[in-house]
Amino acid sequence: MFRKRYRQQIPELNTTSTADISFMLLIFFLVTSSMDTDKGLMRQMAAPPAEHEQPMDINKDLVMNVEIDAHNQLTLNGKVVTPAQLTEEVRTMASVNPTGHVVAVQADREATYETYFRMQDAVVSAYNSLRQQYAQEHYGKPYQRCTAEERTAINDRYPQRISEAPIEKGGRP
Amino acid sequence: MRPMRSMFHTRRHNVPSLNVASMPDLIFTVLFFFMIVTHMRSDEVKVHLQVPEGSEVQKLANKSSVVNIYIGRQENKETRKQGDWLVQLNGDLVKPEELPARIEQIRATMSPELAEHLTVSLRADRHTPMGIIQDVKQALQQSYALRINYSATEIQ
Repeated sequence: MFRKRYRQQIPELNTTSTADISFMLLIFFLVTSSMDTDKGLMRQMAAPPAEHEQPMDINKDLVMNVEIDAHNQLTLNGKVVTPAQLTEEVRTMASVNPTGHVVAVQADREATYETYFRMQDAVVSAYNSLRQQYAQEHYGKPYQRCTAEERTAINDRYPQRISEAPIEKGGRP
Repeated sequence: MRPMRSMFHTRRHNVPSLNVASMPDLIFTVLFFFMIVTHMRSDEVKVHLQVPEGSEVQKLANKSSVVNIYIGRQENKETRKQGDWLVQLNGDLVKPEELPARIEQIRATMSPELAEHLTVSLRADRHTPMGIIQDVKQALQQSYALRINYSATEIQ
């Protein structure tokens, strides 16, 4: 008459293989994703020139003409320099006249990208060392640890005044 | 007293089984960490390139607004000869003249805030002639993609 009731225990789920499954997912992500952070030199280009825009007149003494010729020769105002010398020269110029000078850059179409990059690196290095020095003197800490406002102030003090020469189509052979 | 043989040979203890119930949780935590920290390799690089080295390189922040341009050469598998210089935008090979239109397309798919911070990561081979770089830069300038990141490895 009375059905005998067994208290049935719920069988436990076997979760041993969940670890394997999640391990597989983990390995999949490890393989497909790249850990490497993209590093590089950040540069801001000028907007394309407007049609009737007159080129700005700049005092010739304040312009540093950096050129790279077809044989990857780096010259500053006609003199052959190494990237380290270029850094020194730009540093000197920028510390004397932080907002007035211009580094005018021109590269031959046959020059290699590496030389160009080295040159950019050298110029940026000059500005960075000036900013670093300013941060140390005025805020007593390295540039990397300054706040955003302090950085803006420093950047305004030593702006990167690099001008890329208007790129000519065709260019020299 | 027990016989000698079983004095040393006592009852077999069962080794208690390890509770592995929390192991999946542990691994899932590691998995989520990786999912957040890394980003998927979105495009296959079709050209062969080696970026230059620099000392002043910075980390490129905000990956979602980055457009990748690769400049390099394709290696011929049979003759092992280097081919012509090629430009690759994100996933596919393009000509420098097509760049402004392509950039415009990409910009249209982005949200306005991201489009404002559009950055072009230029990954060019060390030996690329500047002529190609200049063509690419001019194309970018025309399409007002003015933030450029010259990709490089850091000199240790």
